[in-house]
Amino acid sequence: MMKLSEYYGRRVLVDQPHWRGTTPPAPVVVLPTMEMHGRRVRCLRCGQETDRRLAALPNGEFYCPCCINLGRVATLNKFYHVPEPNQFTVHRPVLTWTGKLSPLQVDAATAVDRGMAAHRHQLLWAVTGAGKTEMMFRGIAHALERGERLAVASPRVDVCLELYPRLTAAFQNTTMVLLHGRQELPYRYAQLTVCTTHQLLRFYHAFDNLIIDEVDAFPFAANDALLFASRQAVKADGGCLYLTATPGPALLRRVKRGELAVSYLPLRYHGHLLPRIRLQLAPGWRRAVQRGRLPASLLVQLRRSLADGFRFLLFLPHVADLAAVEPLLRAALPGHAFATVHAADPHRLTKVQQMRDGDYDFLVTTTIMERGVTFPAIDVFVLGADDPVFSSSALVQIAGRAGRSVSRPTGTVRFWIAIQCRRVRMAVHQVDFMNRKGRALQG
Amino acid sequence: MNCQLCNARLPVRLSLRDLVMLRPLTPPTICERCRARFTRIDPAHACPGCSRPQEHTRLCLECAAWQHQYGWHLEHQALYTYNDAMKEYMHRYKFGGDYRLRTVFQAEVQQRIRQLGADLVVPIPVTQTTMATRGFNQVLGILGDVPVTPVLRHRALDKVAQSHKTRRQRLQTPQPFILTDPTIVRDKRILLVDDIYTTGRTLYHAATLIKAAQCHELVSLSLAR
Repeated sequence: MMKLSEYYGRRVLVDQPHWRGTTPPAPVVVLPTMEMHGRRVRCLRCGQETDRRLAALPNGEFYCPCCINLGRVATLNKFYHVPEPNQFTVHRPVLTWTGKLSPLQVDAATAVDRGMAAHRHQLLWAVTGAGKTEMMFRGIAHALERGERLAVASPRVDVCLELYPRLTAAFQNTTMVLLHGRQELPYRYAQLTVCTTHQLLRFYHAFDNLIIDEVDAFPFAANDALLFASRQAVKADGGCLYLTATPGPALLRRVKRGELAVSYLPLRYHGHLLPRIRLQLAPGWRRAVQRGRLPASLLVQLRRSLADGFRFLLFLPHVADLAAVEPLLRAALPGHAFATVHAADPHRLTKVQQMRDGDYDFLVTTTIMERGVTFPAIDVFVLGADDPVFSSSALVQIAGRAGRSVSRPTGTVRFWIAIQCRRVRMAVHQVDFMNRKGRALQG
Repeated sequence: MNCQLCNARLPVRLSLRDLVMLRPLTPPTICERCRARFTRIDPAHACPGCSRPQEHTRLCLECAAWQHQYGWHLEHQALYTYNDAMKEYMHRYKFGGDYRLRTVFQAEVQQRIRQLGADLVVPIPVTQTTMATRGFNQVLGILGDVPVTPVLRHRALDKVAQSHKTRRQRLQTPQPFILTDPTIVRDKRILLVDDIYTTGRTLYHAATLIKAAQCHELVSLSLAR
């Protein structure tokens, strides 16, 4: 038996030889793992239903193939669970962050704080580079003072890894734990949990407030199990705060139906609007590239940026496109240092660092650089923005790489497309929508 | 259909033969890229005792040691080397308990069993504790619908898994099995099947019991070596 506190607000899988014939000590509740639904079985951890034949084990037992990466849930198991007791001692001061918010950030932070106090389900729609993390601090601090258990979750490990040190610095007197699939550190009970959204599947009615950063990022946006997890992880009367720069259609629908309260932050911390996305038609660009020609308008733009002394990111849809475009760029732009980067590139981190250090004039890359990466004063170009690999939220994120610094709060953002498509149009609309709201604030 | 290992889409290519012959299709279970990570063992370049890949076809040193200890040695065949890809597969299938993965190598195992042409196929059993936690015997899973004669049983409810021991500890393991019905195997050509051949300890224990019950011939097969 593990330490009792490790069962607080969680559902811990127990093997048959351990649960059969034994009764766990008092506060531990034994819960079932699976339910039969006619020809399908439903996993009570991830909420997914699977055809009986696919989920079958010998001897009439079943397991869930959907969430097997977190350790197999089967009819052979039970969950041990202890209802969340909120056993925390609050050490003051809770908030050890001493930074200052801009007046606009204060408005959003107040809205977040009120929503969290009322355990509301709310969306903070803030543009890329608005300083979302700092805006949550006040709400988190007050919740921690109330003795609440909180989680900050993100679909992306890199976002969690970046958030954790910032949160530990801002709440130095609070117990905190970081959970993600790639780490082997044991679980421990803490008042503030930072984790990937997958890890939420292990919790059950644990959190008084749950914050999900970058909700629109893959895999959360397209994954029913993770949505289910986020609902299971909060207490029945708990609140949930979604943070995003690019809400997808599902979130927007919930806003329209009035299920989610929204607060907007349409201006960046430096108070400037987002650079507008400009579109340029380049029909048949891939065929042209294969024949050794880049779109003329693209080359004109790249040369202009370089001549003006601005560095840039050029996004392409696929890794294969990188290989095709690279030699053409080398020939067309002699004397300029650049590199290509993709997800499986072994030198990915060094190349990004070299770009940061100014060793390169530009980087040619795929969607991996869509979020979390910040270079000052760059232009952003996408060749083939209409390719299905770019979701509209990915395109908004990509466009959001430009104009992030105070030194150059503007920038050129240009998408080359083979044909018009909905995803690109939606991205352009989202940026314009936030800019309209932003302009109203600027007065 | 998607690749069972990496979930990539599998292209369905029907050959003329598939169209002409009115028989069930046997679509691939994993994609070419995953397939390429596994290494088949060529019996012409492997030890005749344990299927260890080597240049010559004389007994390897380990098998020579078994020969010395028992006065006989196994004629073991393994389909694949136990490389990183196979370790990963076994980890997901056996220890992760993803029972769907049993079908990945089923067709190849069944084909080799037909080639070996035994009277009875005897699978290495799992303990009752494993059955209660894992929920399946990984050997039976790999065999699919091959008719088996489960005459071996574990003496104890529980045991320390071979995979948790050092080589030395493995080799010192005492006989873990009992033969439930020695008369069945008498004068028969027996095929023993296990999932992995590591030191040979498990299979030599099983083979000792079956040979003592006067089988006619004994061969063995594992998915990996």
